[in-house]
Amino acid sequence: MTPLMSSIGAMIAFAAVVFIVVLLPVQTFNPKASADWAPLSNAALAGRQVFLSNGCVYCHSGFSRPQDVRAGLYYLYPKVSLPGDFYGTDQVPNVLGTERTGPDLTNEGGFHPDDWHFAHFYDPRYVDPFSLMPSFRYLSDDQVRDLTAFVQERSGKTGLLRYAGMLYAKHVDIAAQAYKPPPTGFQGAQRTNEQAQEQGTPADVIGGNILPQPDVVNLNEADRSYWLANDPLPLTTANLLRGKEIFRERCIACHGSLGDGDGPAAKFMSPPPADFTDHDDQCCGADTSPGDFYYRVLRGFPGTAMENFGTRLSVDDIWRVVMFLKTIPNGTLKSSRIPTPKDYIQWVPQDDLKAYIKAHPIEDMAPFTERQLPSDPFMVEAERMFPGMAPGDTILVPNVGRISLDTASAGIADIYMKLLNTAWDEARARGENLPPDSQKNILPDPIGVGS
Amino acid sequence: MLSGELSERPPDHAARWWLLSSVVWLTIVDLFGMTLAIEFVSPDAFAGIPFLEFGRIRPMHVNGVILAWLTMMYFGALFYMLPRLVGTPGMWSERLGVWTAIAWNVMFALAVVALATGHNQGKEYGELIWPLDIAVLVIWLANIFNILMTVSIRTIRPLYVTVWWFIASPLWLAADYAIGNVVWNPGDIWGSRSGMLGGSLQDGMLNWWYAHNLFGLWLTPMLIALTYYLVPRITNTPLYSYSLSLVSFWGMAFFYTGVGDHHLLQTPTPAWLKTVATLSSISLMIPVFAFTINILGTMKGNWEKFFTNLPLRFTMTAFVFYFLVNVQGAFQAVQPFNQMTHFTNFVVAHAHLALLGGFTILGMGAVDYCVAQIYRRPLWSRTLSEWQYWLVTIGFTGFFSALTMAGFIQGQSWSAGIPEVNVLPLLHPWFIARAVFGAMIVLSGIVQMVNIFLTVRGDTATRLAARVEHASGRPPAVAGSSGAT
Repeated sequence: MTPLMSSIGAMIAFAAVVFIVVLLPVQTFNPKASADWAPLSNAALAGRQVFLSNGCVYCHSGFSRPQDVRAGLYYLYPKVSLPGDFYGTDQVPNVLGTERTGPDLTNEGGFHPDDWHFAHFYDPRYVDPFSLMPSFRYLSDDQVRDLTAFVQERSGKTGLLRYAGMLYAKHVDIAAQAYKPPPTGFQGAQRTNEQAQEQGTPADVIGGNILPQPDVVNLNEADRSYWLANDPLPLTTANLLRGKEIFRERCIACHGSLGDGDGPAAKFMSPPPADFTDHDDQCCGADTSPGDFYYRVLRGFPGTAMENFGTRLSVDDIWRVVMFLKTIPNGTLKSSRIPTPKDYIQWVPQDDLKAYIKAHPIEDMAPFTERQLPSDPFMVEAERMFPGMAPGDTILVPNVGRISLDTASAGIADIYMKLLNTAWDEARARGENLPPDSQKNILPDPIGVGS
Repeated sequence: MLSGELSERPPDHAARWWLLSSVVWLTIVDLFGMTLAIEFVSPDAFAGIPFLEFGRIRPMHVNGVILAWLTMMYFGALFYMLPRLVGTPGMWSERLGVWTAIAWNVMFALAVVALATGHNQGKEYGELIWPLDIAVLVIWLANIFNILMTVSIRTIRPLYVTVWWFIASPLWLAADYAIGNVVWNPGDIWGSRSGMLGGSLQDGMLNWWYAHNLFGLWLTPMLIALTYYLVPRITNTPLYSYSLSLVSFWGMAFFYTGVGDHHLLQTPTPAWLKTVATLSSISLMIPVFAFTINILGTMKGNWEKFFTNLPLRFTMTAFVFYFLVNVQGAFQAVQPFNQMTHFTNFVVAHAHLALLGGFTILGMGAVDYCVAQIYRRPLWSRTLSEWQYWLVTIGFTGFFSALTMAGFIQGQSWSAGIPEVNVLPLLHPWFIARAVFGAMIVLSGIVQMVNIFLTVRGDTATRLAARVEHASGRPPAVAGSSGAT
């Protein structure tokens, strides 16, 4: 071959293929915004830059595949990514990614509250001891707030809906328990755990609730069918030991190595992690039945940093860790201590709880076989946040007012609209190429409602 | 100092600069990789140090391997081989070659600083910020100019196969780099919103077309070019087939350019493009088999040199890994396989099979060969070379096996619905194995660096004399090296 052939000829071959595989797709493939698409706010866009310049994309992919959903990873992958989810210039450069050392983050928005993220970015082992993620404690408070905004807003409208639900539930939790709002950014790192647990005096029995204020809210954040459920596993040393192992593997970073809620992550969080060392609470608390604990480990505790472990622990293991929780006041978390059935504190419902349950019977809820997801997405979210609340139930919460599923759904819709409007206004001010306003008015479609 | 016969040899100023720089960069980029391996085992090892954070080191490692180590090694070998192949007394301008080497070193040193401080274009494999992209292209074009001018003043009219690649491959890469980094759209030149297309998926399609062609149009063609030079030269055997060379050249040009979208097989991008990528990836077997047959044909009857000649042993070892990576890659680009391997460490293993097993091991042989020839003396220590070979070969094989196992575990677990974070403890032993084998690879690079620089310093004459005496009349490894005093 001649030099001409090796240069010009080779470039012609190259150009021919480039025409097919680059020019054609780039010019012809331009999907419209999907119904679920939402723009990013300024803070989230700034957070996207932090995400990129620190190389987060090397471990966290940015699209959810059909088989991810089929494989049942549905807590994190409730929907398959569509071309229209990637609409707009604020999603450039792409964050499709090639590795999943950590989970895919396409649908991460709203799955964790902000204070969980701040603790996680400060030291990922604070909230997930198995994590291999680097610590991002060198970021400034502003950077980590922006980064968190990006993570919360990146999942389109369904993500914003979950986030709105999370914000609403946190607002209610904090008011009911008289905690201060959580610190933002890495300011939590400056606090002591005592400061984090500082609590005003929660309102006692108000508004005809029968039970004290925090218990009522906590009960309504767990499904009614679990309120009186007992541990179905036999009470054996083997089950307790396995429970202890799981607790030490997964739980101590927040709940503390002694189970007193004094783990290193606690200082970031409000409400703070639960303290399991109180004997009275374990035997006689209104919201500490084995079933309540099981439900919170399985599905998470709305508004708090307590995640759902339903995809990560087997059903048996959740019941085992719940069984073990009931031995913690007897010092079973000490390293050489083997928990035995003698350490187990039997939970017994007290009269006030019995009265409350009598006033709020499970029959108030639609029977399981007749239950349907509401067509209103905000009601879906309200029911996810308050699964123990029946239609028509109300709770009086100081600083929040009287909440019912209707007010909760309206409150969530309000937060959702604020988030969406802010993002739209800021994107419009940035000069982004936005879809028609009709796209904005399409309501989010949480899993299973529209399909 | 040199005899008259030797002074007619090309002065190799440019080749020296590029090759010796590359040897230093190899150790540096290996250490970046080692840092990553340590962070996989112990994520808090460097916690809170921004420039040692995983996501900042990784582009330093990836870009460093491609642009600092492999590119400098390839250009060094090119500047050594080209004058000998076209019969010129050196490159058209040795001085230009030296300056581009200096500029390239400065460019990449700045790139390391930029990436360490979080200035990152945000596109995988295209992380260098816009000003550095421009620097890359300017230096690259200067080298292309030098190459084309050298070819134009050639005294040997017919072009040997290697020269085809030396002409075409830098041109392809220049076009790939300019298009892939969208250099006409500077945007925010210090940060992540530069060099991008208007839509996220378009950006993704361009990103992966570009990224895979760093290998397809530069690293792989240059491996082929160097192998076509080293194997016939060292075995003193003519190349087996001219026709097969043509098949491998045009096959690469047509098939490799279109494989990039196989990185996006499961994204919501056009299905026809995925089909093109899959078919291209499989069709790639045609030029690869042509090349393989050509080299095996040339090696026929020469295999005893595989055991005695170290540069040839490096070259042929790399050749085997290169063949394997292509077969593996063809399978990976098919949907059902891709669904199990994508996002796992299987892909990381695959990438290292190409860049470490293939290009780096070849590069080590090429550096050892060229430096010995340029300085007209055997390497300072054959023993060190043997250590270098076995460290990198065993280190890489273990490294590859560990990551492949980790990939299988991830793929199988995820498909069974086990979330990523639960899989991490299962990967831990394999990550430890990877770090241990990785340390062997780092050591291999350091051994080479020491050996090369002791060779360059010129200690070998006395050592050689002693060795020749000791070996009672056995001739020195490189003919004519007794002329160097």
